[in-house]
Amino acid sequence: MSSPTGADPRPAIRRTAEGDWVVVGRRCRACAEPVAYAWPRCPSCGSAVEPAHFGPRGTVWSSTVVRIAVPGHAPPYSLAYVDLDDGPRVLAHVPGRNADEPTPIGSTARLIGVSDDGDLQVEVTG
Amino acid sequence: MTARGTVAVAGVGTSHFGRQPDRDLLTLAYDAVREAFSDAGSERVDAVWVGTVFAPAGVAQRVLRAMGITGIPIVTVENACASGTTAFVEAHEAVRTGRHGRVLALGLEQMSTAFSGAITPETTDPEGRTGLAMPAMYAMSAARYLHTGAVTPEQLAAVSVKNHAHAVHNPRAQYSGHHTVEQVLASRMIADPLTLLQCCPTSDGAAAAVLTPATGAAGEVVVRGAALRSGTPWNHRSPHVWGHDVVADTTRDALAAADLDAASDADVLEVHDAFTIGEIVTTEALGLVPPGEGGKAAAGGVTALGGAHPVNPSGGLLSRGHPLGATGLAQIAEITWQLRGRCGARQVEGARLGLVETMGGGVSVLDGNACVVTVLESR
Ligand SMILES: [Zn+2]
Repeated sequence: MSSPTGADPRPAIRRTAEGDWVVVGRRCRACAEPVAYAWPRCPSCGSAVEPAHFGPRGTVWSSTVVRIAVPGHAPPYSLAYVDLDDGPRVLAHVPGRNADEPTPIGSTARLIGVSDDGDLQVEVTG
Repeated sequence: MTARGTVAVAGVGTSHFGRQPDRDLLTLAYDAVREAFSDAGSERVDAVWVGTVFAPAGVAQRVLRAMGITGIPIVTVENACASGTTAFVEAHEAVRTGRHGRVLALGLEQMSTAFSGAITPETTDPEGRTGLAMPAMYAMSAARYLHTGAVTPEQLAAVSVKNHAHAVHNPRAQYSGHHTVEQVLASRMIADPLTLLQCCPTSDGAAAAVLTPATGAAGEVVVRGAALRSGTPWNHRSPHVWGHDVVADTTRDALAAADLDAASDADVLEVHDAFTIGEIVTTEALGLVPPGEGGKAAAGGVTALGGAHPVNPSGGLLSRGHPLGATGLAQIAEITWQLRGRCGARQVEGARLGLVETMGGGVSVLDGNACVVTVLESR
């Protein structure tokens, strides 16, 4: 296994003055598409985008527990697709939930930062 | 329909599919090309399109020069799991437009020497970097289907049971057997809810097809229509799980090109079942079964040999194996053999019209890197 090199492609995240974690992404000026990445144009329509923050709250769209070896990630680990409120769908780890069952779909979740390895993390809030 | 502009599949061939770490891409490719040339009755080709995902740079010229194919246009294409059928549709277009006379489409992949287990997620991709291995990506769809009640665990397992049973009659398949739903569900969990027997294996193989202008001869297998698309963004607004819409859109294009009303007009289909949920979503996206009924169709025998819409008589990717670049052309080979009535115990009786669907992914945010749908017909 080779270590990843070059720019980190994962969503950038920062903490607001209120202490919330938010994804620093972009929103399309034409179609309002929220994008979790600092890409130069809207992936949906190609129009110009402007900086936007998303989160910290969202809803779990689906989830799984990965039980096979993946370089850089020790199994088992819990993953969820979380639709951030008025924001994009992001892939996040759900630390502490990786023992037996996947994260309940439809539950509410909140961004809690990134792991030591830089993976987006959420916790289930309800 | 006149023969002008119509393209025939003059010959097909494949290597054995399976873990073959002691062989190399040269010999796997030669097995496929030799059989396709023999089937076509000629070794002459004017150009070659090669589909592969993980093979080293230069692989196309490297394997082809070993069989004396040099000095002609040779092009390598990569479209994830649809690389082989991408090579096929490009070869088809080259013949259809008269750019070239006889064109070879070749797909190849040696996975066993490249990966110790599942494909390593791409670290330059955000979700790959985050640890979304391919089984996990499909597991997200399966979990969502379970959550909405669109499928049951037993229906998911039924796809694996069906395709492994089909492969019993395919001597080139990597795995086959008469499993029970209980055995499939009890196999090792890979990514919840997908168990080991619901995931395609690590495979090595090659497959090839020779395309030529149609002659109009009786029994000739021709390309009735083909289409290729890449995915558009898949996001919180998408009404369907990942991959559904690109398959549905590409199917619409291919049916229009083939002047057909519905995929259900096909007598036999080979579709992308890298994971059990994939076949279920695909049969719905094709319009073969109503939305939410793909699982029921698999469990009820609708998509089994002998059913109304036989899907993956070869055993599919789940059983034949899934050497990425080779898969699409192995699907083309199976449908060609089916339309010629040469499939023995896995033959769909009287099959005249066949459909091949392949789709691949791995690029975050997109509803698939590419999808190819092809309709073949026996004249
Ligand atoms: Zn836009």
